[in-house]
Amino acid sequence: MAGPIDRRLLTRARPARTFLVLGALIGLAQTLGIVGTAAGAALAIAALVGGAPAASALALLVASVLVRTAATWALEGAGARAASAVKSQLRAAVLTAVSAAGPDGMARRDRARVTTLVGRGLDALDGYFGSYLPQFLLTVIAVPVLLGVLALADPETAIIVACTLPVIPVFMVLVGLATHATQQRQWAALGTLASGFLELVEGLSTLTLFGRQHRQEQRIANVTEHYRARTMAVLRVTFVSGFVLEIAGTLSVAIVAVTIGVRLVEGSVPLALGLFVLLLTPEVYVPIRQVGARFHASADGVAVADEVFAILDDAPAPRGPRAAGARSLELDQLSVGYDGVEVVRVSLRVTAGRITALAGPSGAGKSTVVAALLGFRPHGGRLLLDGVEATDARHAIAWAPQRPALVAGSVASNVAMRGPDVSPAGVSPADGSLADAELATVRRALHLAAADLIDPALVLGEESAGLSGGQAQRVALARAIHRALTTDARLLVLDEPTSALDAATEAELVGRLRELADQGIGVLVVSHRDAVLAAADTVVTLGAGAGARAGAAAGADAGARDRAAAGAGAGAGAGAGVRARAGAGERDSVAAGAGVRAGAGARAGAAAGTAAGVGGGAGAGAASVVPLRRGES
Amino acid sequence: MSRLLGTDAPTDAVLRAALPSRRAMLTALGLGVLGSGSAVALLATSAWLITRAAEQPPILYLTFAIVGVRAFALARAFFRYAERLAGHDAAFRGLGAVRVAVWRRLTRVGPDGLANERRGDLLTRFVADVDRLQDLPLRVVQPAATAIVVGLGAVVAVALADLRAAAILLVVLVAVVVAATSVQRRIAAAADRELAPARARLDALVLEHVGRLDVLAAFDAVDASLARIGAADAAVRSADLNRARGTGAIAGIGALGAGLATLTVLLAVPVSEVGGPVLALLALVPIAAVDVVLAVPTALSAWSEVRVGAGRVARAAPLEIPPELPGRPAEQPAAVALPEHGSAPVALPAGLPDETFAPVALSAGPSAPVALPAGHGIRLRGVAARWPGASADAVSDLALDLAPGERVLVTGPSGAGKTTFAHVLVRLLEYRGSYRIGGVEVRDLDPDDVRRVVTLIEQRPHVFDESVRQNLLFARESATEADLFEVLRRVGLDDWVTARGGLDARVGDRGSLVSGGQAQRLALARALLTDTPVLVLDEPTANVDRDRADAVLADLLGSAAASGRTVLLISHAPVDSTLIDREVRLA
Repeated sequence: MAGPIDRRLLTRARPARTFLVLGALIGLAQTLGIVGTAAGAALAIAALVGGAPAASALALLVASVLVRTAATWALEGAGARAASAVKSQLRAAVLTAVSAAGPDGMARRDRARVTTLVGRGLDALDGYFGSYLPQFLLTVIAVPVLLGVLALADPETAIIVACTLPVIPVFMVLVGLATHATQQRQWAALGTLASGFLELVEGLSTLTLFGRQHRQEQRIANVTEHYRARTMAVLRVTFVSGFVLEIAGTLSVAIVAVTIGVRLVEGSVPLALGLFVLLLTPEVYVPIRQVGARFHASADGVAVADEVFAILDDAPAPRGPRAAGARSLELDQLSVGYDGVEVVRVSLRVTAGRITALAGPSGAGKSTVVAALLGFRPHGGRLLLDGVEATDARHAIAWAPQRPALVAGSVASNVAMRGPDVSPAGVSPADGSLADAELATVRRALHLAAADLIDPALVLGEESAGLSGGQAQRVALARAIHRALTTDARLLVLDEPTSALDAATEAELVGRLRELADQGIGVLVVSHRDAVLAAADTVVTLGAGAGARAGAAAGADAGARDRAAAGAGAGAGAGAGVRARAGAGERDSVAAGAGVRAGAGARAGAAAGTAAGVGGGAGAGAASVVPLRRGES
Repeated sequence: MSRLLGTDAPTDAVLRAALPSRRAMLTALGLGVLGSGSAVALLATSAWLITRAAEQPPILYLTFAIVGVRAFALARAFFRYAERLAGHDAAFRGLGAVRVAVWRRLTRVGPDGLANERRGDLLTRFVADVDRLQDLPLRVVQPAATAIVVGLGAVVAVALADLRAAAILLVVLVAVVVAATSVQRRIAAAADRELAPARARLDALVLEHVGRLDVLAAFDAVDASLARIGAADAAVRSADLNRARGTGAIAGIGALGAGLATLTVLLAVPVSEVGGPVLALLALVPIAAVDVVLAVPTALSAWSEVRVGAGRVARAAPLEIPPELPGRPAEQPAAVALPEHGSAPVALPAGLPDETFAPVALSAGPSAPVALPAGHGIRLRGVAARWPGASADAVSDLALDLAPGERVLVTGPSGAGKTTFAHVLVRLLEYRGSYRIGGVEVRDLDPDDVRRVVTLIEQRPHVFDESVRQNLLFARESATEADLFEVLRRVGLDDWVTARGGLDARVGDRGSLVSGGQAQRLALARALLTDTPVLVLDEPTANVDRDRADAVLADLLGSAAASGRTVLLISHAPVDSTLIDREVRLA
């Protein structure tokens, strides 16, 4: 925290600026109330003690109390309102920034941390706006005013107060510097607690299967203990500084009280003035002491704000408009890297009415290519939609990911992307919110995904609980088909759509894909399954990918092998190695693809036979054989 | 206490667990009373001192008061500091035990019982709701108790000087507490109830949003999702504001009450009877005393929040284990007792396992768990199972014999219950019918023991956000570096791991830095590391390319045959018939 007021919060959050102005006005009213209360009480007591009429003094007291009460209430209310508005604004900003950075950016962050940040984390700003800023405003407004009033009433006291007062802010700044680091560590500990727990819950089945779930108790105990220790470290600083500030404040008040007392004894001060000064002096210290005490609450919020602004600063510029409704997609030497190292390079073409398959061994970068198509990963090379170069093809694509990523709610609401059902009580009854026409489209999408037997009204739990792996996969597929049917995104991109399906269902699905293609939809299917590859009009095969290439043992010749495989892909895109489909049943493919199919034919034999079959193909096949050979040696 | 506090037994159990020990509470309470008492005494002494001084007595008469003012000032600061330190430390110590107890309940229900629990909601319960329990001692019990003691003390002290003033003070204090409480209730009661669920809903939506940003982005649904989050945010905000209004009302009423008390005392008590100095004292004490008792309505407001939070923590896992899930045959405190921890001062009460939360209701089971059998032959007869909350059995009338060392392929169409079958075998799901290992009915065994005999490599294995090493080591802790590289080589990941910088390479949140096929191969590497006599593989190579899959399966099944390990392979893809002994088809 650079200064007493965090500029970033003020510049980024408009409600915060409004609050500063409003708060200043209320603070002024409150200060007047404080002075009036002290004066009223002092005059009334003095009058009563002296046997004089006290009516006017009492009226002043009552009025001032009312003003002060109203101002206190208003200031707290305004603070809470500002805090709430700023939190909402920052929450939306963070989520928008995270969304703009996309899944690739999200992969570098932790879901639990982001969730905790925009939830419990931003609540820390309550402390900043709810208590720190109001007190800060009071300090800025009330302290000079009160000091001025004191100086007019009793210069001697004013001098004492003016001498002791500066000690407090100086001390505060020193403490603040020390707190920042501890505060950051506490915030980090909270993040660890949250992400650690989410990880354990999601991994509970794996942990249970390996008999490791009970051991996590100790881990949880340790992480909580770590969090407690960090929190206490922050609090200790807070409390010590609060202690010192309070001592400084009360001792100053005590000095004033005693001095006034002695002067009263000497008769140099009238009672009313003495009382007035006595009542007013603590009020000078209150806001400044509170600022010190609440500075920590604010530091908590500012630590969170640091992380918020880190995310906001990290957000990419908003994307330009993108072409929708494209009927063909062409990749020309499209390359995608990871940490600056090229992972995959490919050329291919997806056109309406045709099925293009993207094959290649595990880890070859098939899903990476899809991520680039969707604009989740930056890429080199050219991406053309209907012949026009574009940054990505997201709006033209209906995508079915490898991981179904279904949400809690009915199958129908998943297929129609209606958003999750998050009633905390758990599963709620099936939503009847889908109109009949909509439901008909959903049924049609399910049919085209070979999922006719899945009830659209079936309600799913977390992580598609209630469906088998293969069923969840087909619901995700139906979701993509639904998009292709209902929007301009007429290019269907499917990532391993049959990996969890049995042969019969797979065959059915392949038939439906042809049906879709015949309706004028372009299909790109990522798969290593023979049935799928056999049904495609074109097969493009990727090389063995980053793993084999980057392997130290593979050395320089691995790079050469990759270029060979990539060359095959490029050829496919350029049309050199691929002939367009002439008739309904006729298919063509690049050499590597043929190799895979040859391998499939020979699969009846042992693994070695399969490997030999693939080895007979292109460079890609050769690369995938390498580890096997080493295994045998 | 339940009826009085509006809670139920499981919530009470959580609240009890969150309260620090009586000794810690009394220490904090004592310090709090001394601190607040000093604050009241400081104001009283100061007022008396000033007014008495105005009568210009010999300075000697004032010495006592002068010393008093300084002493009370110092005491107030010191005791407040000591109270906060002691109170917070004690409050935090209880939370570790609560979190461990939540986790323990989750593990008892098991993964298949949590399918309907929203992850974001669970996260809120575990982090924020448990954290909020610290408010029970800090913002409810201690301030309220301190306020009552100090408030009554102030009344008694004033009564020594003047009964009328004491009566006025008592009336004002009670009135302030009652008025502030009822106003706060009126404004914020609904907000108190709604806030925690609204926050949880928001967290759940946010987690869903960030967890499947890829799908949302690809379907142009980011804005719709953000709008849903915005609506949830608005709900939290309105509840939040109502609460704040309630809190503001408390402060306002307090200031009003203090002013009224001062005014009334000045009007009701003639100065001629008590003298100036005492009148000043009587008139000013209410200001400090009201400030102290305001802690009561604030505590009540905090209480309603704590109560909701405790209820949510108590229900983090289902209170009763549904009949579709296996229970532990008998409670075995030894099996769930925490391992000893050295110097780390983790406060885990000795009686934690079953007293922290209400006892878990178990499905039927005999009185004592049976020891593990020696043989590992498996026999299933008439086995049926269903998922929690499902209306129909996922598998029924299953019969199967598995001889030790046998390799069996299980096939069947998608949705035939292959995964359900696997979950029954490893006791994640309860079964009806008979399932025996080595002649012993599995229902009589501890599920953890069953999994020492039969383990499962899941269709969607979880990859922990740790290093590759950690992701493998938990399958066999004693594995050496060479062992790990050997299994990685067997699944064809050795080059990849080397390229990533070795075994300490991270795999990312939910394995985001590895491909689907690589995650499955990591799981297969785990399978190679475990040494359970029976291994169930659920679609282990669905995302692995055919050639690699064939090679890894050949390796795994071959080595299983050599070591006499039973393997049950669930697969929709055909498997080389020389690698398996027979095939079973689920319809």
